Amino acid sequence: MRTNNLKTVLILLVMVLSATNSFAQKRAKKLADEDTKNWRYEIECEGVGSNGVYLIKIFSYSFNKDVAIEQAKKNAIHGVIFKGIPEGDRGCVSQPALARNSNLEQEKADYFEAFFAEGGKYQKFVNLTTDGAVKAGDRYEVGGSGLFRRKEYKIGIVVSVNKALLRKELEDAGIVRGLSSGF
Amino acid sequence: MILALGFAFGANAQAKKPTIMIVPSDNWCVNNGYTMEFENQGMTEVVPDYTAAFQQNSDLLLVISKLNGLMADRGFPLKNLESEIKSINSTSALDAMRSSKSSGAEVAESPVDALLNQAKADIIMQLTWTVNTTGPKKSITFNLQGLDAYSNKQIATAAGTGAPSFSAELPVLLEEAVLSYIDPFANTLQNHFDDMFENGREVSIRVMRWGDWENDLETEYGSDYTELGFIIEDWMADNSVKGRFTTKDATENMLIFEQVRIPLYFERNGRQRAMDTRRFASELSRFLRQEPYNIVNKITTRGLGEATIFLGSK
Repeated sequence: MRTNNLKTVLILLVMVLSATNSFAQKRAKKLADEDTKNWRYEIECEGVGSNGVYLIKIFSYSFNKDVAIEQAKKNAIHGVIFKGIPEGDRGCVSQPALARNSNLEQEKADYFEAFFAEGGKYQKFVNLTTDGAVKAGDRYEVGGSGLFRRKEYKIGIVVSVNKALLRKELEDAGIVRGLSSGF
Repeated sequence: MILALGFAFGANAQAKKPTIMIVPSDNWCVNNGYTMEFENQGMTEVVPDYTAAFQQNSDLLLVISKLNGLMADRGFPLKNLESEIKSINSTSALDAMRSSKSSGAEVAESPVDALLNQAKADIIMQLTWTVNTTGPKKSITFNLQGLDAYSNKQIATAAGTGAPSFSAELPVLLEEAVLSYIDPFANTLQNHFDDMFENGREVSIRVMRWGDWENDLETEYGSDYTELGFIIEDWMADNSVKGRFTTKDATENMLIFEQVRIPLYFERNGRQRAMDTRRFASELSRFLRQEPYNIVNKITTRGLGEATIFLGSK
């Protein structure tokens, strides 16, 4: 009888822990998505490849390291579309944003909501290089002071973005104008 | 006014697509020794020898080929200068040998036709690069300029110096430069096109008179004795998009309008059609042929963006 009770308590404990973990993961993801929308990430150019592929280092923030790594992909695409790529010290030339209208994100909110959703189309244009491994110098702990404040990670991940294909997608969807549109 | 209204209707019509061609700059040709010299009225002139540049410089071919491919990906295939020169040479040779089967007459070609028969495009992508060497390190300074053939304005640009490299070979550095600069260049070119769709195409229109015409641009017409030059200027204000144009020069013999914004479309038989400078100038020509002016005139054009009306006869 006592053993059965203990089992039930253990099962309940595992379920509660698992639910808490899942809740924390979801919350971290939600916060990371909000950071993306609020432009809270940094882009650095790492190099220009052939056929319109760019290597970009993205610094993302999260309480959860795994979420930060996954969010880097979304941030990279978001950055290429709305921010552009700044000049880098490896001979990278500053690249303009694909969006030429500063209100594009709001004007085409439905499209971008679906585009950046979990499992959304954005994944088609980005790849994690080095399997998402983080260099020692690209992992920082930020915040975390105070009694109950949680540590937040700032993690830099190098991703490759197929800008040529991404531009084509946005042109075909009528989100941005192509060079030849109207002719 | 009717033409300006046509501009607003043209949402679904297709505007005339400008042609673009990559041309190595005079500076690059001189620095690399691809020049020809000829005597022009006692002065020695140095001009670029494009044929020699294409025949002898593989790097030039590589850069042009790469740029052509990247622009074609953006839906804007470019005219190829090398092919254009070859095509003009072979067409000219064929025309020179051709004669009418019945009369034996040769193909008619005025000196002006011969002058116009050269490689040209509406937008020139002028290309310059220099190799910088510091000790064992090499870098490329790359300059790509988009020049409007009619207004001579620089409408697009991308320029800069790449990172120095110890080991990379020149073709690799050039390829990197092309890949790095094509997006900034296309972006500035898109700005130009956006402005064109918003405010109309920018063109030049000249009005000249034949020497044997008894009137000139100071001849007065109508009950208020307005000079012809001012009548033409008023027509331009009424018909250009938002009344935008600049009168560059005005004498009794000529009127030169620059930065004339013409609509991209006009309506004919209930259908939207693309407008070019020739079509726009033909409206002015018709206006001058009608009462009370009755001025016989002739229109000539140069590409999409320049037209001249000669007053007095055809």
